[in-house]
Amino acid sequence: MILSLLFFTFSFIFYVIAALLYIGNWVFKKRWLGQTATALSYIALFSTSLILIMRAAESGHAPFSNLYESMVLFVWGVNVGYLALEYKHGVKIIGAFVMVIESLAMLSAALLPYRFKSIEPLNPALQNKWHWLVDLLAKVGLEKYAIGWLDFHVFTTFIGYAAFAISFGLSIMYLIKSRAEEKGGTNQAIASLPDSTMLDELGYRAIAWGFPFLAVGIVSGAVWANYAWGTYWSWDPKETWSLITWFVYAAYLHARVTRGWRGKRCAYLSLLGFLAVVFLYWGVSFILPGLHAYA
Amino acid sequence: MTTDTDAWYRRAGSNIWYFFNSLKLTLFLLITLAIVSIIGTVIEQNQQIEAYVRSYGMTWTKVIVYLRLHDMYHASWFTALLILLVFNIIVCTFERFPPKWKAILRHKTDRFDPGLIARLSNNAEFSVNVGVKDVGGRIEKALRSKKFKFMSSESNGEHYFYAWKGVSGRFGSDFIHISLLLILLGSIVGSAIGYKDFKQIYVDGMIKVPQADFALRLDKFWIEYYETGQIRQYNSLLTVVEEGNKEIMTKQIWVNEPLYYKGIRFYQSSYGTAWDRVDTAYVALKKGGKTEADDPVPVKWEELAKLPGSAYSVRVVSYLSDFAYDERTNSVTSLSPEPNNPAIRLEVYKGDKLVSTPWLFLKYPGVFPSIPGVKDDLVFSGYRPLLYSGISINKDPGTNIVWVGAIVMGFGFILAFFVYHRRVWVHVRSTNEGTRVKLGGTINKNQLLFEKEFQHIRDVIEKG
Ligand code: HEM
Repeated sequence: MILSLLFFTFSFIFYVIAALLYIGNWVFKKRWLGQTATALSYIALFSTSLILIMRAAESGHAPFSNLYESMVLFVWGVNVGYLALEYKHGVKIIGAFVMVIESLAMLSAALLPYRFKSIEPLNPALQNKWHWLVDLLAKVGLEKYAIGWLDFHVFTTFIGYAAFAISFGLSIMYLIKSRAEEKGGTNQAIASLPDSTMLDELGYRAIAWGFPFLAVGIVSGAVWANYAWGTYWSWDPKETWSLITWFVYAAYLHARVTRGWRGKRCAYLSLLGFLAVVFLYWGVSFILPGLHAYA
Repeated sequence: MTTDTDAWYRRAGSNIWYFFNSLKLTLFLLITLAIVSIIGTVIEQNQQIEAYVRSYGMTWTKVIVYLRLHDMYHASWFTALLILLVFNIIVCTFERFPPKWKAILRHKTDRFDPGLIARLSNNAEFSVNVGVKDVGGRIEKALRSKKFKFMSSESNGEHYFYAWKGVSGRFGSDFIHISLLLILLGSIVGSAIGYKDFKQIYVDGMIKVPQADFALRLDKFWIEYYETGQIRQYNSLLTVVEEGNKEIMTKQIWVNEPLYYKGIRFYQSSYGTAWDRVDTAYVALKKGGKTEADDPVPVKWEELAKLPGSAYSVRVVSYLSDFAYDERTNSVTSLSPEPNNPAIRLEVYKGDKLVSTPWLFLKYPGVFPSIPGVKDDLVFSGYRPLLYSGISINKDPGTNIVWVGAIVMGFGFILAFFVYHRRVWVHVRSTNEGTRVKLGGTINKNQLLFEKEFQHIRDVIEKG
């Protein structure tokens, strides 16, 4: 617990400072602020990776087995997605929003009650490894590190959540920006946001990543359930909500592709989709009964 | 007079086709499915009726039961919604796919109206001060460097280029829709001809597999623990036995590792202790007049065991985990599978002679004298329960269709989201001010990416 907790603390600090730097860059438009913020985001990514690696080392299984670990994975995914976006499109202002989301996510992970954080041995249903990987790794004596459907399932699902979170941030920025564009406002901070068509397009791109990842997550969960219980779908609340969420984003894609929706209406649908994600992730675990409830 | 084309069945047919060929219907179905699914997650499914009465009261329970909201995902109206979606997808796909296919096959043309270029979402017009031929060379170089396929033609000193790439991306959504059909089809096949069952097998016991011509034997069952005492895993060693006691295969199964044979899967699903048998009972002799019993002797189920230092032998013939005597029928039963009142029935032999068949109670030693006429008594002091392994049996021929659907979907995702259909038109003409270039292009999605690509092509044409 010690090392992973240490890296957690470091990462938390890095995210908060990165958020402040990105905001500073946005408000004061100083190049060095933006560059430092980006550098710090990479350091935070490295440090977050170390949390996951240390958890894996401490528990002896992939670090995706409780709420706390899944939050760290979520933060990791958002960071990867954001840095890819910044690298490709060179827009640092988005970082102000994303890093605030990251800091809040880290905060909520830190505030989780102990029972959602503690390392528990895996119960029988959670032990699932790919044979071919076990056999392969056994050749070099590392079969302990094999992963399986469960790990794949959690990983892909959370990359999906991360992409949706980024899209959520972009949609909010879009709404702020487009409102200002309509009113012809003169607010400096808002004026320096990327223009609204770009935000709209990037929001769509994020969903175009999240949607297939969530689908792969759902399907791999079904494959795993089929191994564990002999049914690939049992309509438990988590499964049902993941389908609902997926449908919301399917509606978004259809509206865009077949109806030509752009802008505000898409942004609102994206907010609705993220609401469903939040409920899928937290609401279902805490409010509704079912197989997936963590711990 | 009605002509052939408006025969009633044709009209009805086209109305039905029209009804299903609608994205509004899709939206309606998706939203409806989403809303009713939410209801299904809020009302806990498949509970005892009393549980609903307790949470919702009598009136609402009646509504819930009437609408089958307590087993919603198996209700006929829910299935009907899914079937509507199936038809919706089929009609939409078949209505849209052929024209799209044709349009895309016939798109290639090296003759177009240069005036249309200005209307494309990305377009530019500029002059270059090298000859038409050299500009043509630059265009080819630019298109090749971005891996476009292209065709060109030349007449009267005018040069036409048409270039494209990523056509397959257009078909991603068709793959996705077909995959949805496959997945739904697989689930329908599964529920129509598959079955689920659950059996308990004792160690060394055998069960006949339903709807199959083979049996299953449990050779061994064991539980692994973590150092902390939590259960790590439980395992069964199963042997498939075909007619004539032919052993086909033996496999160790555990949670997450089923046995598969002849289209049927066997899952480790639970375990427990038998309520009507024990592995071993411990029986002690209390000799007449003594206060302390001798050391207990292990007596295996239905095997005769001698009690040392005496003429007695005993055999365990019955066991009940929660013994109860029913006066009306004058019979004994077990009230539950829990070991609340474990009792064994013994056959007691003195020498070769059966002297009695008493019930002995673990919790109430000595309530009834076990051997009539003598002072000697027997004590039931403990037992090793017989473990059974709970095996879920599942035959679902639809599963494979579902997996094929999942793979098709993955393929569709790659095409739909990561392969973009781009087209570029270039018109080159020599004028007094130099060589005029009209450059235009479109992409079906990911405009941001295309802007960069377009800029690159333009730079190569302008600057070489
Ligand atoms: C659960 C149901 C459905 C899902 C998950 C789904 C999913 C998708 C996806 C992912 C795309 C690609 C979007 C993109 O390229 O960005 C798409 C496109 C499309 N879908 Fe669906 N779809 C569903 C049902 C339907 C139905 C019932 C119809 C029939 C009306 C339909 C009509 C279309 C059309 C016309 C396109 C655009 C095709 C194109 O431009 O290539 N979809 N769908």
